[in-house]
Amino acid sequence: MSPQSTPAPLLARIALLSVVIVFVQIGVVSEVPVFGVNVDLSPLFVAFVGLLCGSVAGALSGFTVGLLVDLALAQTLGVTSFIFTLIGYWSGRLREARDPQAALTPLLVGAGGAAAALVGYSLMEFMLGVDAPVSWELLRQIFFGVLVDAIVAVPVWVLIRRCLQGAMPEDPRRRRGRRAYTTGGLSPLSRAP
Amino acid sequence: MLAFLVVLSVLLLTAYFGESSEGRLHGVQRDFLTIISPIQEGANKALKPVRDLFSWFGDTLHAKSQLAQSKKETERLRQELVSDQAEKRSYRQLLALYHVDQLSIDDYHPVTATVIGKSPNIWYATVWIDKGEAEGIHVNDPVINDEGLIGRVVQAASDAALVDLITDSSMGVSARVGTSTATGLVQPKVGDPNDLLLQYLPSDSQAQDGEYVVTSGTVEPPYDSLYPPGIPIGQVTSTNEESAYKSVNVRPTADLHDLDIVQVLTAAANSRASRLQSLAASFATGQSQNQGAGSSEQLASAQSNG
Repeated sequence: MSPQSTPAPLLARIALLSVVIVFVQIGVVSEVPVFGVNVDLSPLFVAFVGLLCGSVAGALSGFTVGLLVDLALAQTLGVTSFIFTLIGYWSGRLREARDPQAALTPLLVGAGGAAAALVGYSLMEFMLGVDAPVSWELLRQIFFGVLVDAIVAVPVWVLIRRCLQGAMPEDPRRRRGRRAYTTGGLSPLSRAP
Repeated sequence: MLAFLVVLSVLLLTAYFGESSEGRLHGVQRDFLTIISPIQEGANKALKPVRDLFSWFGDTLHAKSQLAQSKKETERLRQELVSDQAEKRSYRQLLALYHVDQLSIDDYHPVTATVIGKSPNIWYATVWIDKGEAEGIHVNDPVINDEGLIGRVVQAASDAALVDLITDSSMGVSARVGTSTATGLVQPKVGDPNDLLLQYLPSDSQAQDGEYVVTSGTVEPPYDSLYPPGIPIGQVTSTNEESAYKSVNVRPTADLHDLDIVQVLTAAANSRASRLQSLAASFATGQSQNQGAGSSEQLASAQSNG
């Protein structure tokens, strides 16, 4: 998918999923601590939308999810949307520039997105003047936050891909890759006498 | 597109940070809370079985260690109860002497609410509750549960409210250790939801491990404490004497990871209930023993002003 074209049905699905993710996160997931921290689905969702749909969709979904979270939880407006916009954009750029196909890609991108969100929050809060020490406990919380998000990254990726797949336009790069194995001279069957 | 969204985020941040709590953007947040709170409540009810299933696993894993801890705590409290009963008898006699009604939490018109949402962020310790202004809840109302202080209301819509927990970076509660008269300020240690810091205690104040830290409920206009006196906040875990003031590490008594039913104390900070409770508490701790007629006048004034 090119950076400029993001079809309306896809944007509508992303918007709907954004709302659902925020509600599920606040109402269910945040109330179940794992290793003393909460799983945060929001940066995973934003990173995976960027990885599936490109930088524009990633940035838009990041801004939307971030704004919804800030509004719903009475947090400082703009902080979460700023961080998530960057996460969504850069995971989209990763797809556009490298198009990684490895099986570990969702896990690494999810962990990277979670780490960027947690470190980004911390930096923003320090810059906004919150009087908090950089303690081992804070670093521990960040480490385990990234760890639990990485654990759930793959199932979340599968779910989001399934939800968005029907609305995503066909990717010429993927089509060329498939054709190489099913038609033309690379198939051993076609070379058989 | 990226530049536009980043600039928009920064503008929102700047505008929000620079305005007062009555500003336009804060108003938008309150309206948003009003709109989505019924949806969030419905989603919470529908997904509660899922949440309870996951919580069951965690509770089962921790049950054995919690049982041992509870047995130890029960024994310690039993011993304390015996010595406190004598003190309580004298306290009641003193209250009767000054015709002060025995105040309880019911005098603060508590409203029971259920937690329907929580922030995932370590920097914002916030929960949603399913009651709001329609039930008499207002901003700055203290929130407690059966274990102790939870936090305070920071936004109230008609049918829901947002509560900042005591572990939120914005919180500060005036508190004292046990029956000590010295007060300090309890603030969170951001990033560690199991640790609070009671700071600015006089260097000669005594604090022993295991002692309860409670709200001081100081009445000093115009800086009255938001919280009624005597609400447990936590227990002392260690003390620090590195600066001119003593500071004390406090473990919250309330389990902030597992909040379900809470109570919001809707009586105003300067209500008769809180003024009488503060004065009565000061008599109990011997704070006003040397103030003679002045304290009696304060008490009489509080009673007559209702």
